[in-house]
Amino acid sequence: MQSKVLFHAAAALGCAAPVLAQGPVFSTPGMPTYETQNPSGSKDSGQADRFTSAFNPAFSFIVDAEFEYLDNSKSPDGAEARLNVLEFMGSSWVDPSAWAYFIGAAEDEALNIEEAAVHYIGFGGHQTLRAGRFFVDFGKQMQTHIHELRTNVRPLALRTYLGDEIKGDGLQWDDWTSLGNSTAVRWSIGAFSSLLPEAEEDFDATTEVAEELASSKKIDDFNYTARLTGFTDAGESGTFQLGASAYIIPSFDFLYEPSSTYSQQSTGLTNIVYGLDATYGWVGDTGEQRWTSGAELLLNTGDNGVGINDPDGNLGTGDDETLQVFDESTLGYVAWSDFQWNRYNSIGLQFSAVELADATQSMESEIEAYLTHKLSEFQRVRLIVSNFESDVNEDAMRAVVQYTVVLGAHGHGVNW
Amino acid sequence: MKQQLTLLLIALCFALFGLLNSGMASTAGDPLRVVVTIPDLADIVKEIGGDRVEVASICKGRENTHAVVAKPSHLVAMSKADLFVEIGLSLETAFVPGLLEGSRNVKIQPGKPGFLNCSEGWQPLEVPTSLSRQAGDVHPHGNPHMNLDPRAGRHIAGRVLIALLALDPTSKDYFEKRNASFITRLAEAEKRWAALGATWKGSQIIEYHQEFSYFAGASGLKIAGAIETKPGIPATPNHLAELIGMMKKAGVKVIVTAIWSNNDTVARIAEATGAKVVELPNMCGGLPGTDTWIGMMDTMHKKMAEALAVAPIAK
Repeated sequence: MQSKVLFHAAAALGCAAPVLAQGPVFSTPGMPTYETQNPSGSKDSGQADRFTSAFNPAFSFIVDAEFEYLDNSKSPDGAEARLNVLEFMGSSWVDPSAWAYFIGAAEDEALNIEEAAVHYIGFGGHQTLRAGRFFVDFGKQMQTHIHELRTNVRPLALRTYLGDEIKGDGLQWDDWTSLGNSTAVRWSIGAFSSLLPEAEEDFDATTEVAEELASSKKIDDFNYTARLTGFTDAGESGTFQLGASAYIIPSFDFLYEPSSTYSQQSTGLTNIVYGLDATYGWVGDTGEQRWTSGAELLLNTGDNGVGINDPDGNLGTGDDETLQVFDESTLGYVAWSDFQWNRYNSIGLQFSAVELADATQSMESEIEAYLTHKLSEFQRVRLIVSNFESDVNEDAMRAVVQYTVVLGAHGHGVNW
Repeated sequence: MKQQLTLLLIALCFALFGLLNSGMASTAGDPLRVVVTIPDLADIVKEIGGDRVEVASICKGRENTHAVVAKPSHLVAMSKADLFVEIGLSLETAFVPGLLEGSRNVKIQPGKPGFLNCSEGWQPLEVPTSLSRQAGDVHPHGNPHMNLDPRAGRHIAGRVLIALLALDPTSKDYFEKRNASFITRLAEAEKRWAALGATWKGSQIIEYHQEFSYFAGASGLKIAGAIETKPGIPATPNHLAELIGMMKKAGVKVIVTAIWSNNDTVARIAEATGAKVVELPNMCGGLPGTDTWIGMMDTMHKKMAEALAVAPIAK
């Protein structure tokens, strides 16, 4: 009797399956379930017109390669040639109320999805709901990709407090309004499952504990971003922008696990980074000459650093080590200025300095000079010379030749 | 939890502020708010629209249209516009797509009555037969500098009239009367330009960027070469040597350049060949006397007449 009841239940579920399912029973994921139009007008329907290319997304590629010479103060000097990043992008309208895009980046042998998001604009007004994975809205130089930066690395203050990149999985809502005829004010709020910097694969707990604060964090709560910015015409030829951003991690844990038999954890930690940015851009009457200057000030608050107390000096053994969480607010900033004297050539200088979240609030600074020559709209060569100084890490000088190529459709919106 | 509630409250405040500011439509009786990409279009829209339009131009007369930087005022103007007018043919791709998307103004999106592409119905020159960046910064729909064709004023005026009538049918008589007045003045000017073109027909010139093809074609000039290797690609030493050799051999005595491209390379070629350099506007407002489209065309013809040693025709 019991087996009969089970049989009837199974039969009922079997019949219901096509009704409950979201689509036809026999369909391959990703295949269209309707017959597509044959552009030639023929009535034939075969493999040739199964996937019409008429609605394909726009694709583009960025190849960013560099040759670097590093002059270290203690370690041996060295040179390296590498593919900095291969970025590929696809984007397309989904329907009249949404468009979507993805950006993949190949670094070394790994392939990462940098961004994959939908912009929903069907609310009307100037509102946008962004969902998926994307670079969060913080300041001027944090939301851009590596090849769009002024040099080949994120400015020191940003990468120290926020990481090389912040790609969040979550939602962001933004809106803008006008004040008069020449000022626009925009704001955004985002909620993400995690905004912690990525962990290095070759992380070595014995030497990089303080730097890799994020590598062992556990996240129970959502993380948030907020930004308010206004930009306005400054005379006939200038534009001025002022912005404030916040990056909020309400709760995270830090796990120190030097071996499989020993670990320590600090829980209930909080970290908030506030940013203020100001940018002025001037464009000459022909549009060929441009001058841009800007600065970003960052305040890193809450539990922003962790150190290991190890009285016997045998770090990583776990015998007498204890965690020390630092919660003194630290400041960092980046300032830059660059000048384009014709459409092919520009020169610039960028300086960044940070207080480190450690017991002595050590300082680090980096100055970079860069010369960019565009061979055309689609390829450029950049020469970068930088000097890095640190109270705790090794000083270094760096010379880089960066070569960047854009293939295919590549466009950017208004960056604000 | 308290922190999350605070964030939620902030989000709701922003949402409310956004909703309050989302309605920015013009009211009946107000002039139509028109945003155009280049001053040439502004002049023609004003000619036909008179005091029933308010016109703002994104580009300034001396700018290189390929290198325009969007400003806050452009975004605000686009968001409030009743009509957006562009040349099209991908001339404005550096700034129009971002501004159109950012403006979120549904009235001026492509396909709507408030979006006007003036190149529709125009027969473009130099349409690439295959698309490859090997050909440089080419425009997929052909040479986009149609505003420099002496015949373009009539075409653009026709397109603008249709758009204005669709958006404000109550002003039909007003717009048509103003259009007729503009066409009358244009017809007189076209006779002047045709007479001058007949005097220099077949004369050869060199241009910096491939932007004077329409002007040359309509006024009887022959473009013997360009200083850029390919559109948007700077000249190589090899290309310049060949160009100078060709100019000497063919007796090309005039180099035509826009304001943004009148650079050291042009001066070097002029010195090597003894050619005259003629700086022409590529938009209204680029040079003195070019505030109107007819005025710009007059100036272009006058400057060419001087360079080719032809007596200008009196107005």
